[in-house]
Amino acid sequence: MTKWHRVASSADLHEGEAFPVDLAGTPIALYRVDGKIHAIDDVCTHEYAVLSQGFVQDGTIECPLHAAQFDIATGECLSGPATQDLRTYEVRLEGDDIYVCAREE
Amino acid sequence: MFLRNYWYVAASDHEIGRQPLRRVILGEPIVFFRTEDGAPVAFEDRCAHRHLPLSMGKLIGDTLQCHYHGLRYDRTGVCVRVPGQDMIPPSARVRTYPIVQRYHWVWVWMGDPALADPDKITDFHWLDDPNWGAKPQYLHVKANWQLIVDNLLDLTHLAFVHETTIGNSALVEHASVKVTRSQDNVLVTRWIIDQPAPPTFVKVGGFKGNVDRWQIIDFTPPAFLRLDVGATPTGTGAPEGRRVGGISMRNLNAITPETESTCHYFWGQAHDFDIHNRETTDKVTEQIRTAFLEDVAVFEAQQVNLDLIPNPPQTDINADTGVIQARRILDRLHAEEQAAAAATRVAAE
Repeated sequence: MTKWHRVASSADLHEGEAFPVDLAGTPIALYRVDGKIHAIDDVCTHEYAVLSQGFVQDGTIECPLHAAQFDIATGECLSGPATQDLRTYEVRLEGDDIYVCAREE
Repeated sequence: MFLRNYWYVAASDHEIGRQPLRRVILGEPIVFFRTEDGAPVAFEDRCAHRHLPLSMGKLIGDTLQCHYHGLRYDRTGVCVRVPGQDMIPPSARVRTYPIVQRYHWVWVWMGDPALADPDKITDFHWLDDPNWGAKPQYLHVKANWQLIVDNLLDLTHLAFVHETTIGNSALVEHASVKVTRSQDNVLVTRWIIDQPAPPTFVKVGGFKGNVDRWQIIDFTPPAFLRLDVGATPTGTGAPEGRRVGGISMRNLNAITPETESTCHYFWGQAHDFDIHNRETTDKVTEQIRTAFLEDVAVFEAQQVNLDLIPNPPQTDINADTGVIQARRILDRLHAEEQAAAAATRVAAE
């Protein structure tokens, strides 16, 4: 089974907005920050909240419920109440197709 | 929790006349009346002498006479007559409140009078705009004001609380909700694209096919919620801002805290179709009233539990995004007001 999955088209992504997708059963979100595409987990590590419904600002995503902040490029948790980082995923662009590499469980 | 440096709706314009009206706002008793030239007046509803509500008294010209011992106050709240004595004690005065009549509502400023700028009154022009039909309404609710703010920012309860009235499964199944925020404002936007119009929309809008439908909730502190709802034939460009051939309404809400556990709920439903037909206004208003009464039953039941168990822990779900952003703004504004008040106290000492 291939680890790379086509999850979106380049036109789906806009600066300042999250684009949630399903990566082989894992909810992740794609972001375009300063032209570069990033893929990170879409569920907050604090409680169950969908991060893509939150707020993108200056390369960070803020959880819509309890305001934990994460670095979109690195997944690093920048402020609580969450303490764990988000997992990041490798991204590959082929033409207009965005491929993301699933993690081995 | 109350925010003080704001204009609040105190009454509908027709409620205030030559009969004194008592209304408690932010825990303060206020008496409202009009002078003989029609100007609205608001002052503390407690006689400086022995605390009887002045609203139990009567107007004599432009003075309000206390029912108990006949002290008379002029429109500036100053006592101008004490029966049986010539001298009037300088302390015989009551606090007055800045007051403005606008959009068929009477607004009162509850904070520092020096900051009372009528330009800060939140826009509710749809209530008296000749291009819209509307009829302002009032409900007294035995629940904390923030429970109503929460409710109006949350669209997911429609499928449950209003299952048989304004609820519609398309609302939950085919909608995408987006929450945006700025410094002191939250916007919850929901578009329902290319779906059948609800029966009530078909009736007034005459839609033949599917529609693009929107619900845009604007929250402005402390408790103003202006909902922009409507529909146009699908594919005609409403999501891009071109609204043609459809209908739209504004559900307008101004909530004024009475006490921590009760509030005054002023609202109206403005419509941009059939605007001169009183029956249409009555019909859309009645439809919303029926739904609001379903909400009020929820608020008052919540409040009963909150009175029994104050500040209980609570769980947040994904649909709470707009509610949480609004609460965060209110908490910040409250902290700012408290800090400013403390700084003023320190400066005074």
